[in-house]
Amino acid sequence: MDVQGLQMTQTKPVPGLFKRNPPIAGEAEAIESAKAGDAEAFSRLYALHKRRVYTLCLRMLGNVSEAEDMTQEAFLHLFRKIGSFRGESAFSTWLHRLTVNLVLMHLRKKGLNLVSLEETINPSEEDAPKRDFGSRDPQLAGSVDRVALERAVASLPPGYRMVFVLHDVEGFEHNEIATMLECSTGNSKSQLHKARLKLRELLRHPEPSILADLKETAK
Amino acid sequence: MTSPKKPNSHPDLTCAEFQEQLPDLFAAGGNGVPEDPALLAHLKTCENCSALVRDLQYIADQASLLLQPTHEPSDNVWKKIQAEMDSERAQATQPPRNPETK
Repeated sequence: MDVQGLQMTQTKPVPGLFKRNPPIAGEAEAIESAKAGDAEAFSRLYALHKRRVYTLCLRMLGNVSEAEDMTQEAFLHLFRKIGSFRGESAFSTWLHRLTVNLVLMHLRKKGLNLVSLEETINPSEEDAPKRDFGSRDPQLAGSVDRVALERAVASLPPGYRMVFVLHDVEGFEHNEIATMLECSTGNSKSQLHKARLKLRELLRHPEPSILADLKETAK
Repeated sequence: MTSPKKPNSHPDLTCAEFQEQLPDLFAAGGNGVPEDPALLAHLKTCENCSALVRDLQYIADQASLLLQPTHEPSDNVWKKIQAEMDSERAQATQPPRNPETK
């Protein structure tokens, strides 16, 4: 995938993403100064965005060491390309798109991960979440906190996790995800649905670590 | 997977048929609530499918909680970024080599 072509070329602003990623106080000034080569301004941008970029990498990769390496790569890429940011979308949206594409490129370069990603984008029927017939478990509403959800998301198969994080957490549209993951929009919709079904299953019948979080929430 | 067909209170649509439409229903932005009268009728009369739709929407809503980052990279990450940026800046400011001085 051409990282430059995908996330450095700005497209029409997506209103939802501005809403999701409102401008941060002092960010615009820091961007302009960083474009002019101000090292201090770049460090401010790092301070403003490091947690979100790192959290995104960590969720996509599920590995601290790789997530730190990709955070480093993302900010170095930003350092080299910040001059091409024209402000047509929220800076954070632009930076996160850049990060997502770098992580996906990284996964594709690693043959093993590429295979596992494709396998879970087209999982075997045995791996797919079971359809929900006849169960009468209590509904989830009000019973799940972010820690339990975070753990459940981390335990999803990589392909499910990728689409869920990109769509439901990061706010990308199915057509954007399809481009990034090189699959059809139908496939993206289907993967997201299966991810949510799997999460429902995990949250209703939690593994011990998730169960502990749910009990903590209920206190 | 072969989806079992379960009889339900709406004779025209099975749970499997209803649930097959869910990815598109959610993608259409209606929170899983269909405009199609047959789908809507099934949703209104099938407790199981309405609980499913409610849970899936709840999960999607809760996902927004994860947008706020909670993890922080180690200080080492910034040190490495700084070192690399310094190196690239130094390279960029170096005068071009004169081949005759070799």
